[in-house]
Amino acid sequence: MPAALRANAVSCQAATKTGVSRKYFGFRNFPSAGREMHFQMESGLLKCPDVDRSFTDLDTWMQRYQDGDPEAPGVLIAAISPALLRFFRSQVASCHQADDLLQDTWLRIHRVRHTYRLGEPVLPWIYAIARRVRVDGYRRISRIMMHETTMDVLPEPPAQAEPRDTLPAFETLVAGLPEAQREVITMLKVGGLSLEEVARATSSTVGAVKQRAHRAYERMRKLLQPDGPDDAPGGV
Amino acid sequence: MNCNDVDKGLDIGAIAGSPDPEVREHLNHCARCRKLVAALSQPAYEASASPVALLEQIESGLLSDLRPVRRTRKAYLLAALAAIFLVGVTFGVSRIGAFALAVMTPVQAGVMLGAVATGAVLTAYSLVHLILPGSLHRIPPAVLPFAIALAFATATVVLFEFQPELHFWAAAWWCIRTGTVFGALAAVPLWLVLRRGAVLSLVMTCLASGVFAGLVGMMVLEIHCPILDVWHILFAHLGVLLILATAGLATGLAVEKFQPQMRARP
Repeated sequence: MPAALRANAVSCQAATKTGVSRKYFGFRNFPSAGREMHFQMESGLLKCPDVDRSFTDLDTWMQRYQDGDPEAPGVLIAAISPALLRFFRSQVASCHQADDLLQDTWLRIHRVRHTYRLGEPVLPWIYAIARRVRVDGYRRISRIMMHETTMDVLPEPPAQAEPRDTLPAFETLVAGLPEAQREVITMLKVGGLSLEEVARATSSTVGAVKQRAHRAYERMRKLLQPDGPDDAPGGV
Repeated sequence: MNCNDVDKGLDIGAIAGSPDPEVREHLNHCARCRKLVAALSQPAYEASASPVALLEQIESGLLSDLRPVRRTRKAYLLAALAAIFLVGVTFGVSRIGAFALAVMTPVQAGVMLGAVATGAVLTAYSLVHLILPGSLHRIPPAVLPFAIALAFATATVVLFEFQPELHFWAAAWWCIRTGTVFGALAAVPLWLVLRRGAVLSLVMTCLASGVFAGLVGMMVLEIHCPILDVWHILFAHLGVLLILATAGLATGLAVEKFQPQMRARP
């Protein structure tokens, strides 16, 4: 990996084609033609002066990846892995398992990279593969654990153990959700995907994703304030 | 504004820090929404160090096998599936004849053949979307087989009559056997085409493949079988679809259980 990619992953904001601001996980330095281009902090947004940091840029790198450009894998790995890691960490228990899933995901991406179609959004394609890897990984781990250990006491849902006056971390909050809802919320809030992109990633319809998201919001409201009064006159 | 509007705003990330007075007023009054918005607006990534060694290891692994690949084209996949359907139906009809067209009215023939053909087109689209990750499904893949079966059954009940038949079981068995064989034959080239993509959801892909193969068998029977009894069509013709769809589903479940990771050929 080029030295430029050794920097820690940082989150930054990038505008999409539609102009909607969304989370994007980039890297501090960017390798291109043997030089480093540094992000600059401007008005709270991390921007790179020489490179379009929009998601359309990922399309170009995917195209180069398909064409066999040796620079492309490093760029894509550094750009997408932090978000994928967080996606996995909010879905599985240990960081070690998340690292394994990340590795499996990139191997799977490499094997099926010919199925990415130019002009299509990259992130739903990536997340569709990551989601499948997570499901396979979960099954594998479940099989191993079934043979190796016996679980006498189920762990308490961490979301309920939080003090009421402090906000739980995102992972803690979504841990109390059913798997399908957790997946949708993580993609929306961590991956920065739109409803349509989540639908693409989950092989679902936009309506189904919207329904899951709204059920998740309702459940999270209850987790955040289990027995508190709703003080909104017009609240639903 | 109410909590549902907040949910809609959260979907598109337009709530946190919104200058809209209606949003701010609702958040001031509704503690549940305020807490939810605050919890979901926390920094998404705590700047924890990326596992650099891991990323390097992944990159070196990818670079060791990096070569240009030929992109999979959706149009080619759809064309291949259309060819499989047409060749499969033509082959079947050429072997057993097209006697149904002579006894059905034009409306019956048009609606029944149209229903099967429409089902095949929708299933082909669903299949292609299943093997191209990140595709948008207009109809959920799990719902489509039921919708096709229901539409076909409805058309059958509306267009045909319940007629007593002397050799119901013998005729039904012949149709089921013949339709299943022709459908199963179509499943072989179908699987070769599907391997060009990325089979992520093996169960759903196998189910859709079974439905597609079943529709090939059904089309052959609809063109061949001169029996116009509703029970015969529902049991023997629709039965082919159900048998092959179930077989596909069972295959998918079995393979997924014993072979967790399917390999796709670039």
